[in-house]
Amino acid sequence: MHDALLAGSQFSGQINFLSPLINGIANGAAYGLLGLGLVLLYKSNRIFNFAQGEFATVGAIVTYVFYAGTGVLPKLPFFLAAVLGLLGSVGIALLTERLVIRPMFNRAKVILVVGTVGVALLLIGVEGLLPYPKTQSLPTISDVLKVQPFIGRIDNVPVLDQDIAKLAMLVVLAVGAFVFFRYTHTGTAILAVSQDATAARVVGISVERISLISWGIAGLLGGVAGILLAVPPTGSVTPGAFTGTTLTVSFAAAVLGGMTSLPGAFVGGLSLGLIEAFASADAEFVPGLNHVHSGQAELAVFLVLLLVLLVRPRGLLGQEA
Amino acid sequence: MAAGTQILAPVAGEHRVGRTYLWVRFVAAAPLVALVLLLPLHSDVYGHVSAYAAIFVMVGLSMNVLTGYTGQISLGHQAFVGLGALTAANVVSTGVRPADGFSFAIGMVCAAAASGAAALLLGAVALRIRGLYLALVTLVFGSVFADAVFTLPSLNGQDAGVPAYRPSFMATEYRFYLFALAMALICAYVDVCVRRTKVGRGLVALRDNELVASAFGVNVLGYKLLGFTISGAMAGLAGGVFAFWEQAFSDKDFTAIAGFNLALTFVVVAVVGGLGNRGGVIAASVFFALVSPLSPFLEWFARQTHWATYYGNNKFYISNVIGAVLLLQTVILNPGGLGQVIRPFARWFGGHKFNLHDSDGGGVGTMEGSSVRA
Amino acid sequence: MSVLEVRDLTIRFGGLTAIDGLNLRVDEWEIVGLMGPNGAGKTTAFNCITGFYKPTRGRVYYQDRDVTKVPPHRKAALGIGRTFQNVGMVKSETALENLLTAQHTRAGYGAPQAIVGLGTVRQREKELTAHAEAILDLLGLADIRDRRIGGLPYGTLKLLELGCALATDPQLLLLDEPSSGMGPEESDELGERLLNLRQELGVTMLLIEHHVPLVTAVCDYVYVLNFGKLLAEGDPDHVRNHPEVVAAYLGGEAPEALAQTETPDDEPPADEAALAKPVKRTSAPRKTAQAKKATKAAPRRRPPAKKEAS
Ligand SMILES: Nc1ncnc2c1ncn2[C@@H]1O[C@H](COP(=O)(O)OP(=O)(O)OP(=O)(O)O)[C@@H](O)[C@H]1O
Ligand SMILES: [Mg+2]
Repeated sequence: MHDALLAGSQFSGQINFLSPLINGIANGAAYGLLGLGLVLLYKSNRIFNFAQGEFATVGAIVTYVFYAGTGVLPKLPFFLAAVLGLLGSVGIALLTERLVIRPMFNRAKVILVVGTVGVALLLIGVEGLLPYPKTQSLPTISDVLKVQPFIGRIDNVPVLDQDIAKLAMLVVLAVGAFVFFRYTHTGTAILAVSQDATAARVVGISVERISLISWGIAGLLGGVAGILLAVPPTGSVTPGAFTGTTLTVSFAAAVLGGMTSLPGAFVGGLSLGLIEAFASADAEFVPGLNHVHSGQAELAVFLVLLLVLLVRPRGLLGQEA
Repeated sequence: MAAGTQILAPVAGEHRVGRTYLWVRFVAAAPLVALVLLLPLHSDVYGHVSAYAAIFVMVGLSMNVLTGYTGQISLGHQAFVGLGALTAANVVSTGVRPADGFSFAIGMVCAAAASGAAALLLGAVALRIRGLYLALVTLVFGSVFADAVFTLPSLNGQDAGVPAYRPSFMATEYRFYLFALAMALICAYVDVCVRRTKVGRGLVALRDNELVASAFGVNVLGYKLLGFTISGAMAGLAGGVFAFWEQAFSDKDFTAIAGFNLALTFVVVAVVGGLGNRGGVIAASVFFALVSPLSPFLEWFARQTHWATYYGNNKFYISNVIGAVLLLQTVILNPGGLGQVIRPFARWFGGHKFNLHDSDGGGVGTMEGSSVRA
Repeated sequence: MSVLEVRDLTIRFGGLTAIDGLNLRVDEWEIVGLMGPNGAGKTTAFNCITGFYKPTRGRVYYQDRDVTKVPPHRKAALGIGRTFQNVGMVKSETALENLLTAQHTRAGYGAPQAIVGLGTVRQREKELTAHAEAILDLLGLADIRDRRIGGLPYGTLKLLELGCALATDPQLLLLDEPSSGMGPEESDELGERLLNLRQELGVTMLLIEHHVPLVTAVCDYVYVLNFGKLLAEGDPDHVRNHPEVVAAYLGGEAPEALAQTETPDDEPPADEAALAKPVKRTSAPRKTAQAKKATKAAPRRRPPAKKEAS
């Protein structure tokens, strides 16, 4: 029913500032959610985790198969299914750490990154081989709570409840993760290890345990992102759902925010969502730009990424290059 | 006459073993050559798959020059292959069928030139951005380039794609295969020339440590650009051949998730083959061409069992899994890659002593570089 | 004629003045030492001379030509060879391949010819290999020809690195602690080797060295740095007994240099007149160099012509 409403608005809605603004914030929240996990692993391990998108997909798929009771699986209430989904994401992340990252602890970071690319590729393949309906989506907040879907309208542009939920969760997680690193013992230990693993070892921090913990948290963040994003109208539980396009933009968002800053992932995510939305909008307010081409949004993302890396490598909120 | 060389009289040193038993090696190599030339004759399907393998070899060698020698990672190589295909198809698609040899040749040259130029641009970016960030930039570059350029309606022939008719003298699959093989041999020849001269040594030096390279007189910036350009031109040539292999350019092969998959497959080929090891990369290219979803090889295999339908529905995922498992296995357990495994044999064919534990210094480890500081 | 002249060289890293107004000169056919305690700025001076660092102020002249802004690879082509303190070679390659790589600028063919694989390239490659093998022989390293340098002992690496520097065909050789990782005997041997190299190849050298016997044995003139400033200069015997040098090496406090210089916001413009003046030495170098030079006029070497006798 969302679809019908959305489709309607696309024809009736006056094309203006508001539509890209709201779309941009909604997409931006998604980029921010994935970006949080990317930043966390960069902060703790100094690597880019190309498997983060698939941590999200795994969470969404596991949630889906239990929620829908696919095959022999029991049909569970949504929240229970979601917990299993999160466990799935965390489990995959921990396995990745244990089987791929740990054996290569002392290798160059580029090699570790190639490893995470391998993990992403493997997860996409395995997800694809699993028998479950691949075009389905997870229920939205209103479906789960069995309430009338909230579709607010600002100037005839729809505002969906799940977008609000994404944004709210992004704020909560960004603040939560920030507090975690600033004020908890484990959080500061993770930072200590990332700064100087040898020194951290000397003062009695177990580098291995810290690594496991940070991957676990990254898996959790990925799972949350997946469950919130695999909802209609655009999200689904397709294999590789979040790696194809979302992951790259999320990376750009994290870089824009400053790869080491958790609030930066939030700011960068929203900024890139908006940049993308406005770049691809049939924007009458930009003189001479009234032809839309599908590559425009991506081109804008690429240019922003280049600009940040060349002019201000530490991003908007990062502390270091 | 240089004084330096005057006192440093060259010493006699024949470090290869004698050529007495060279004929043994020729005999041993003969079956391989026969296989490469005769197997594709078997049927049109064999010829078609073999030509695809030749294309993959070209892309593999392109990755070898860039990642293996120059040490620059590229997660966006599908853009260069795609640009080559797009260029070749557009140059040739004059509507004449079959295409005449001249426009065909021009198409191939333009394909290499266009992708070489695009790679040069990306190389300019790589002068400022390194390591992980470069990996990210190439990833985004690949998908953006594909999505922004290949989807232009004026270039991609819209839904039908741009037709790329083969010239009449390549009418059969086998003849087309011979052409693809010749192109692959050209790439291999360039790879050999690069590696055996100061060009390859300069690239490898800068891969290992840019400070050392420049102390040796290597123009690091120029050579990085050179590495990108050579690699891009090879990929473009491969793309050109690909367009005629498919007899059309279709943007869907290179955009969205298909493009992403392709880009990662190329990385897998280079890493599993053994970065910097030509023989290994060629072997890996052939292997991954055979298990690629476009090749009927695994399909045939599945038909022998009762898995044919399952395979048909899941071929993309199956080749993903194969690639990913081999990639992880290589990165974690066998950093030298396939090249390290076949190296003793390759060296022996080349006239050296057989030595099972001979390392070539290639493989994933080359990405580490060394920590010489200024 | 001076081969190298450094005038008023200054470089800052943030608040730290690593080198402060350094003047030094290396004449043709000389072996000049650069000494100083750890962190004095010796390696930094090398990096400024070879173009790896951009000095904040000052000039570098090579064969009376201002090369301050010339990038490192061009300097290598001009004939300034260098070694690194922590061994600078290509780790993944064999000893022979490293020596070939080091002959980059004297290969005698361009990248396009190499890529299309011309016959002349192959011919040149044979000559380069012969030259590399000759260098291996000269240094007594022939048996490691095909060894990957990864696992070699440090002293051997240092020696091979010297070979690589020689392979760049230098007229001026900058050696950063060539004797590190060597025992006293090897170090004596190295001293003789350096003297022989000068004798036979006519290479001028500037070397950073902590090992006093080696410095005394080979250097004609020595500069001593401390906290980025020139502390003393003169012939080795003179410098060795210099009270301030002794104090600096014994870890005594350095006089005013310890106080970190504040970086003024705007650098005072370089005094052009001062820069134009050649560097004067406070005492005469040892006579050995001049004498040797008189006995054998070394032909200045250039990248070899296409044909070389073999
Ligand atoms: N790139 C740089 N950035 C910041 N500081 C630097 C840099 N390079 C050198 N320094 C500083 O400059 C000073 C001089 O260092 P340098 O390496 O030249 O000393 P050195 O005389 O070679 O010492 P050693 O005998 O230990 O090799 C040191 O305090 C060092 O920390
Ligand atoms: Mg030093």
